[in-house]
Amino acid sequence: MQRWRTFSILVALGLVVAACTTTSTSQEPSGSAEPSTPESMAPFVATSYPADGPADCAYGGEFSQITAVDEFTVRFDLCYPDPAFLAKIAFTANAINDTAWLEANMVNHLILARPNGTGPYKFKEYVRGDHITLEKFDGYWGDAAIAQEVIFQWNSEAAARLLALQAGTVDGIDNPGTDDFPVIEGDANLALEPREALNVFYVGITNTYAPWDNELVRQAVGLGIDRQRIVDNFYPAGSTVADYFSPAALAYASEGAAWPDFDPTAAKAKLAEAGFPDGFDTTIFYRDVVRSYLPTPGLVAADIQNQLLVNLNIRADIVVQDSGTFIDNSSQGLLNGLHLLGWGADYPDTSNFLDYHFNNPANLQFGTIDSSVSDAIAAGGQTLDPAARAAAYGDANTALVETVPMIPIAHGGSGAAFRADVAGAHSSPLGNEYFAVMDPGGRSTMVWMQNSYPISLYCADETDGETLRVCEQVMEALYSYSIGGTDAVPQLAEECVGNDDLTSFTCTLRQGVSFHDGSHFDANDVVASYAVQWDAAHPLHIGRTGSFEYFAAFFAQFLNAPE
Amino acid sequence: MAAPFRVSASRSSGYTPAMLRFITRRVLLTIPVLIGIVFVVFAVARILPGDPCKAALGERATEARCALFRERFGLDEPIPVQFGIYLSDLSRGDLGTSISQGVPVSDMLVQRLPLTLELTFFALALAASLGILLGVAAAARRNSAVDVATMVGANLGISTPVFVLGLLLIFIFAVVLRDTPFVLPPGGRLTAGVTIIPLTESWGLTELEGPLRIVVDFFSNMYLLNSLITGQWEVLGDALRHLILPAVALATIPLSIIARITRSSLLDVLGQDYIRTARAKGLSEQRVVLRHGLRNAILPVVTVIGLSLGSLLAGAVLTESIFGLTGLGRTITDAVLARDYAVVQGLTLVTAVIYVLVNLIVDISYGYLDPRIRLQ
Repeated sequence: MQRWRTFSILVALGLVVAACTTTSTSQEPSGSAEPSTPESMAPFVATSYPADGPADCAYGGEFSQITAVDEFTVRFDLCYPDPAFLAKIAFTANAINDTAWLEANMVNHLILARPNGTGPYKFKEYVRGDHITLEKFDGYWGDAAIAQEVIFQWNSEAAARLLALQAGTVDGIDNPGTDDFPVIEGDANLALEPREALNVFYVGITNTYAPWDNELVRQAVGLGIDRQRIVDNFYPAGSTVADYFSPAALAYASEGAAWPDFDPTAAKAKLAEAGFPDGFDTTIFYRDVVRSYLPTPGLVAADIQNQLLVNLNIRADIVVQDSGTFIDNSSQGLLNGLHLLGWGADYPDTSNFLDYHFNNPANLQFGTIDSSVSDAIAAGGQTLDPAARAAAYGDANTALVETVPMIPIAHGGSGAAFRADVAGAHSSPLGNEYFAVMDPGGRSTMVWMQNSYPISLYCADETDGETLRVCEQVMEALYSYSIGGTDAVPQLAEECVGNDDLTSFTCTLRQGVSFHDGSHFDANDVVASYAVQWDAAHPLHIGRTGSFEYFAAFFAQFLNAPE
Repeated sequence: MAAPFRVSASRSSGYTPAMLRFITRRVLLTIPVLIGIVFVVFAVARILPGDPCKAALGERATEARCALFRERFGLDEPIPVQFGIYLSDLSRGDLGTSISQGVPVSDMLVQRLPLTLELTFFALALAASLGILLGVAAAARRNSAVDVATMVGANLGISTPVFVLGLLLIFIFAVVLRDTPFVLPPGGRLTAGVTIIPLTESWGLTELEGPLRIVVDFFSNMYLLNSLITGQWEVLGDALRHLILPAVALATIPLSIIARITRSSLLDVLGQDYIRTARAKGLSEQRVVLRHGLRNAILPVVTVIGLSLGSLLAGAVLTESIFGLTGLGRTITDAVLARDYAVVQGLTLVTAVIYVLVNLIVDISYGYLDPRIRLQ
């Protein structure tokens, strides 16, 4: 004991003495945001990007030029029409940063750990490996947050998350285990908030191989798989059979013909009509990777194999491929047989599901897409008129049922759970639960436990939902999604109006908005926030990995992208 | 036979030179081991199947974007060049930067290792003290109810998966006993809202930088030590309460093994002639068992404790996962899944160094505990 005491004192003294002889400088950022530069008092000078005129659209991306028309007006000139533009700019990756903050904190990577937004909560501390604390932003332009603080914790084990909720140490948890749904529903102290699916699992068919080049064969298989059985046996509560390729939560997703019901008799008749009364041999390809749209790939593959044999006498071998190999092979149309794949929404618009799969010459996983499908999808992408879009996507869905490039199976659901006394509790199809409207039973702190930790706090260069959810409390974009929904609604913009051919959107910005560091929001911040993502040659195009995945996924290509 | 009675004499005659030679030899032997570890870890990290780019950017990342990614993190260089850069950085104490998190590996070490050390030492202290106590009790009362109960308990402890035990402990102490004084937190390091003041702040060293900053931050992240030396008693109590369940879950298997080894080793020693002599001299049974028996039976127990310490350092992945703690084990596991070479290399190397040091200490303790070893 005496030795330990002496040792402790020596260690402490040593540290103090050594520290006193050391000079100072910067450190890992923590605590609330401090202004990186003094607020400019200079008159507003509107900027545009590129400054020397519109970009040559031959570069392949969506933006032509972004212009600050005046202090509170921004115009986006596009290279091609985009009816999903508002849904895209509402995404968290497109949140607006203060220009000076970007300049001061990007090159030194401090921005990864120190977000400075305009949201109802501001960043307080990130104890890596343990928790993140956000505190209420008193200068918020909108309705003030209810809880004084939000604390994010994480645990990868669903059972442990539920126990923490039952123990009352957290107010809400993400993704309870599928077996725990009944437990939560049966506990008066807890409340389950099922999360509507924004994904689809499908059986893909490459129609360049026989006999899959025969439309009747594809239709027969489309009728001969009992999709309800798969959902009932292998998916969590909240999941649904996919009657359409796009999830029902999206506008225009459920227009046109729904997928026909399971009918083994009709399926056998179709197969016989196609010239295969005794079935044939084929292969089912999949990768053994768990996704929310396919939580048990091996079991589902085996079930489909069994159903094909029993219902259609189609004898299928199962081939498991490495994930990367499988994705490459499927997108290049190299899989002779059926393949099990899915898609999760990048942004909540039907075009994100239909365009990528069925109106994308680079995607060969279904072989040749019938023009009745691709033309209808293209038509839906040319207008903002709801009736016209509904009609176009309805035609596309009907054509998908007729030509069967794939068989939609399921939309995989999930959920969130809260203590019963949390008012305003909700789950979001996009996973962007908005804690500012939640009242944790009168307690001052809302504690939320999710699956994993945020990777960084500069979400323009992040893709995972755990990271984006934190940013969504702190950062704001021109538009956002409705609370618990997918509709794009104005946030930092009062409105964005598109021209007739949807190649230009002019946004009127909200006035009197402040960033957490006290600097004022204006049109130049919008230009700068987009420019650092858009231009690969921009000196601040750095981020964490420099890949800016969502920007590339939304807007097709970077300006000045390297060869 | 008389060896135990020569221990005190040998301390004063020939102890220092013999021990010094012994320690020097052991330290020198660790150098090639560590060099080998550097090679092996680098090679194994590269042999792992999977693409760091696809792991970081997602499966839809295009080849062009992956090329940029590889260039940025130096993954486009030939493997020997990468190894050369790695060695060069390592010689300057630079463990590299995490591909997946964009932070220096040394920062991750400063954040994660203190938790692992606290948890490991807490668990091992529990396992060693209780394990030896139970083992001695079982051996001293062979075939009694205590012996049977201890061995049944030890078997249960060894065979119960940590995952099950951890969840069971949380259920009992955090949920069932929720409204009682025995309630314990289900996970994390501190209760939400309880914050620990860093040492730099407590000591007015917020401007400190460089290696000393790293050292101070490291000790700052040892919550028990920090709160103890700065008098943050509420934090100390909270941190202790948070350590109890994970430490018990983590300690169960080594505790069971230590109890069994202690029992069997002590039973073996208690059958020796010199024990009979000690009893014949009229010494009390307690003195015979603890002074003459345990001292000579402890060597294999020390070996097990040393091995347990090494494996607990990086092997507490399940415990960390269940209790929502991000220590070394979980960080390395995440890094392997993310193909984050720098983190895998850096943290594995540090774990290996600790393991080697622990084994060195164990070896040295052999010499201290058994004079025959150092005289050889």
